[in-house]
Amino acid sequence: MSEVMVDVRDVKKSFLSNRSGAASLKTLLLWWERKKKLETIEVLKGVSFQVHKGECLALIGRNGAGKSTLLALVARVYKPNGGTVQTFGRVAPLLELGAGFHPDLSGTENVLFNAMMLGLSRKQARERVDKIVEFSEIGAHINAPVRTYSSGMQARLGFAVAVNVDADILIVDEVLAVGDLAFEKKCIEYMEGFKAAGGAILFVSHNMDSVQRFADRAIWLEDGIAVADGKPEDVIPKYRDTLLAPRK
Amino acid sequence: MREELRELWRYRELLWAMVERELRIRYKNSVLGFFWSLVNPLATVLVITVVFKYVMQNGTENYSAYVLAAYLPFIFFQICLMDSAQSVLQAVPVIRKVYFPREILPLCTVFANFIHLLMALAVYFLYLFVLWAVTGFETSPFTWTIGFLPFLLVVNLALATGMSFLISAYNVFYEDVKYVVGVALYLMFFLTPVMYFSDTVYYAAQSRGMTWLYYLYHLNPVAMLSTAYRKTLVPTGKIEVVPEPGSAPQQIYMLEFDWALFWATVATSFLLLVVGYHVFNRLKWRFVERP
Repeated sequence: MSEVMVDVRDVKKSFLSNRSGAASLKTLLLWWERKKKLETIEVLKGVSFQVHKGECLALIGRNGAGKSTLLALVARVYKPNGGTVQTFGRVAPLLELGAGFHPDLSGTENVLFNAMMLGLSRKQARERVDKIVEFSEIGAHINAPVRTYSSGMQARLGFAVAVNVDADILIVDEVLAVGDLAFEKKCIEYMEGFKAAGGAILFVSHNMDSVQRFADRAIWLEDGIAVADGKPEDVIPKYRDTLLAPRK
Repeated sequence: MREELRELWRYRELLWAMVERELRIRYKNSVLGFFWSLVNPLATVLVITVVFKYVMQNGTENYSAYVLAAYLPFIFFQICLMDSAQSVLQAVPVIRKVYFPREILPLCTVFANFIHLLMALAVYFLYLFVLWAVTGFETSPFTWTIGFLPFLLVVNLALATGMSFLISAYNVFYEDVKYVVGVALYLMFFLTPVMYFSDTVYYAAQSRGMTWLYYLYHLNPVAMLSTAYRKTLVPTGKIEVVPEPGSAPQQIYMLEFDWALFWATVATSFLLLVVGYHVFNRLKWRFVERP
């Protein structure tokens, strides 16, 4: 097997939930209230997998199974409570397109800033602005403030930045459904090229057709445990069956 | 902590870009830009000067220079802490989606405000120069003590950064923190020698045989910094104070600079910086998980 790009070992993650909403000094002072309201939710109960060079791995499963949490762990947004997450190379997280765009700044300014947020130096970011703008197909609007953009335009710009930072690992959380068909096609072409060039892709989708078409491997997560791991054509039917069957 | 500093260093360009962005956003839609940020301190200093010079009838010469020298750093400290309370909290949606060292958020607030302080000080020097020119270049308002200014600024920056780390981190979990900070800063304004002189505090305490009060007063590190800024920026002159309760006001020279108190303040500032950074690092991974 080829080089490992993402190595996730026995990862556990739990969150404290607070049903009353915002935290306040009140919850700090009234410990009995804290006791009452806070409970630990185990989202991931020990998941392991690896993504190799040129491989596309899909995570499937019901809402709340822990798919997005797993992606966020690989993107270093969270720290695991147990186990390890290692990535080899630059990670471009597409958890939300255009995260961190400032509405009052122009498209160009936001592109520069976002590219740096994803790990480019100022010089590299400047060199790539034109290419990114071209990819996004936003045209002359690029000098207008981002608040004047439609949500599709913002998503396109966000995607354009993320795919032009020379990432080795792409993390995609069901975000490709925002552009029009032409742009979607462009994204898919890009991701195929990315894979062919040796990049690793980790993505979450509820669309079984795209999982079937895209992924080389699929992992089915259920209640924080990987219940099946294998070729999409083997994993998807198993998952489908439980979806249709009434939940125990 | 070493590891964390190295990571921060790797992201230094992002930090500068963010400071730049912060400054640009702030004045994007206003014509006069930076000068708006000078309106508040100048108006405040004007009012304080009028009240103390003409209503309270304090006969100190250059009263406005003393007030301005202390108020510019004070307002930097104040706005810095108020802004940093929100700095991490309002970025939570972003740090849920993208990784970068979280320290960048409060640091950006501090640096952006620090650049404001530097620009305000530049305007202050310009003002002094104009005064000097108007009087026909007689007595220079620029003294050799200005050489201490960079060191003083570094200490002030350390103190502000340390406090910002603490406040921004705790405000994510307890939003009451920003209200507490607001009240504390408001009260601190009266407990810091901005409108008056720390000498006045000294004489008031000493004449009642309670010199310890003067030291208690300096538990507030900004108090010592304020006096230090005055000593640095304003040429030594006589100030008007009341040395004994009930006696007539006298024109006397300011007290000798209390180096021991000053070094204690320097130590406090850097200690707060280290403690603040440590606390921030311990809490930063939980920001995105705030209940």
